[in-house]
Amino acid sequence: MTPVIRTTALSKRYRHRLALDDCTVTVPAGRIAGLVGPNGAGKSTLLGLVCGMVAPTSGSIEVLGHRPADSAEQLARVGFVAQDAPVYTRLTVGDHLRLGARLNPRWDAELAERRIRQRGLDPAQKAGSLSGGQRAQLALTVAAAKRGDLLVLDEPVAALDPLARRGFLRDLLEFVDELNVSVVLSSHLLGDLEQVCDHLIVLAGGRVQLAGDVADLLAVHHRITGPAARQPLPPGAQLIHAEQTRGETSMVVRGSGPVPGGAPVDLEDLTLAYLTRATDVGPAAMTGAHR
Amino acid sequence: MTWLTWRQFRVQALAAAGAVAVLALYIIHLRDSIGAFIDARIVGCAGEACSIARMELRGDYEGQLAVVLGSLLLAPALIGIFWGAPLVARELEERTDRLVWNQSVTRTRWLAVKLAVVGLVAALVTGLLSLALTWSLSRYDALMGQRFAAFNFDTRNVVPIGYALFASVLGTVVGMLTRRTLTAMAITLVAFTALQVLVPAVVRQHLLPPVTQTVIIDADVLSREIGLSLGNDNLFTVHGYTVPGGWALSDGAPVFKADGTRYTGEDDRPCIANISDRAAVKACMVAKHLHFEHTYQPGNRYWTFQWIELALYTALAALLAGFGFVWLRRSR
Repeated sequence: MTPVIRTTALSKRYRHRLALDDCTVTVPAGRIAGLVGPNGAGKSTLLGLVCGMVAPTSGSIEVLGHRPADSAEQLARVGFVAQDAPVYTRLTVGDHLRLGARLNPRWDAELAERRIRQRGLDPAQKAGSLSGGQRAQLALTVAAAKRGDLLVLDEPVAALDPLARRGFLRDLLEFVDELNVSVVLSSHLLGDLEQVCDHLIVLAGGRVQLAGDVADLLAVHHRITGPAARQPLPPGAQLIHAEQTRGETSMVVRGSGPVPGGAPVDLEDLTLAYLTRATDVGPAAMTGAHR
Repeated sequence: MTWLTWRQFRVQALAAAGAVAVLALYIIHLRDSIGAFIDARIVGCAGEACSIARMELRGDYEGQLAVVLGSLLLAPALIGIFWGAPLVARELEERTDRLVWNQSVTRTRWLAVKLAVVGLVAALVTGLLSLALTWSLSRYDALMGQRFAAFNFDTRNVVPIGYALFASVLGTVVGMLTRRTLTAMAITLVAFTALQVLVPAVVRQHLLPPVTQTVIIDADVLSREIGLSLGNDNLFTVHGYTVPGGWALSDGAPVFKADGTRYTGEDDRPCIANISDRAAVKACMVAKHLHFEHTYQPGNRYWTFQWIELALYTALAALLAGFGFVWLRRSR
């Protein structure tokens, strides 16, 4: 089956800033892929490239087997909710559904209307007067009722309070089940994604730190805890990140074979290990030279 | 896409329709009023009374004409500022480009429909206004001539449509480049105004090579509203000569005697010896066979100039729109 996203050495440079650097990832079909990384890691740039809002500086990207935003047909296959869920403030909720119906050949009016009703949105209300959560729901509804094959959500819960986040994500899971689409969503908080994703891409400093199906990633990473002294790594294992706490060393290692003394690591620790490694590369190297 | 463009634009379009309706009513009222004046004072007039009546007609309606001509001169600029500039800039500002560019419509089609809808309404609005004005001032214009005068030429017949088309595209493309509605409005205003001053003042007269002819100062020429003036250099120049319906491009042309040398103060002295007798002065001057060179655009070129200018502005609009499409595709 064609992967929903395949990038090869994909880079995007804005004037003086390299927003995305040599990014090679493949997201298989049918996944709910989480894109996580700190602010400015390049998440929005990558998602912009996926839906064709942004053109690559170098490298290549294929979405559902085609160049992003190449044609009206390709646009019809990808639904996108941009960061902060932009809507036309002067148009009503109902106008947004009419807009969707007019501009999308595969529009599912029944779905859109039902969802608006269920979320308690008034079709006559101006979109400009909606709350952040309602706006996110409206934008998601418009993107979903296109009935594309891929739904891309850029920081869909960033503007919501913690309680609303949980509700939005749980609801999203059910919705995605019903829609039968692949999903890519980003967040700077892993906690948001942990509960919904089965595929993960960790981005920091414009580079991919870690990518793969969650189950596979968890299977090949282990935590080894021991006395403060440096522990020998098991053969074939690679140190991702080591941490000293109260006379104990805690290491996250990667190794596909069995790792003696290795305990399972959870997704949050795993992501943190990669993100810390990415941000620590500079200072760690300097301390090393000092010794 | 047409639906969305119209949905976003309909308030402005309806407001414009209202303004056009009010202005059209006023213009029709003006036609009746001017018509009544002409019927009463000018039809069948004789001698001095005619020119006095014409001067009064001009004086009486100066203010009202300034309002309607001003509105029509302003209309394309307003269209560029209030319809063109926000057309794309506001979407970029409010980030709704991210919403609309992710519907199943390519950006090229999105822009094409936007430009077409706004351009069409702009052309319709200015076209209707120009039609109303041209029709209602037809008798006034026939009396006064001066069809080439900047304010007249710019507000009659087909050229206003070209201005409106160009202004709407200009505003749109400037908005696309600046990404800020207010900035785009300001730049559009300045750029369009500059062009509207520059074209009548400098460009228009060169659209076709002008005609130059030698005019003999005879009794007929002297009976027109011309003036001869003696400069500090003691040489005569002629002012205010026009060919009926034509556009005079040279003013203050040097006056020559039959032998081809300049007509001087000394030459004129015999003629003004008896200055109180105007007929004698005229006869004396006619007898000298004076002449001057007159450069002008003939009146029968009026429509050629209208079409050339319409074509020019439409072509500029098309070029600018083409640039807009390329820019939109590249700016990702």
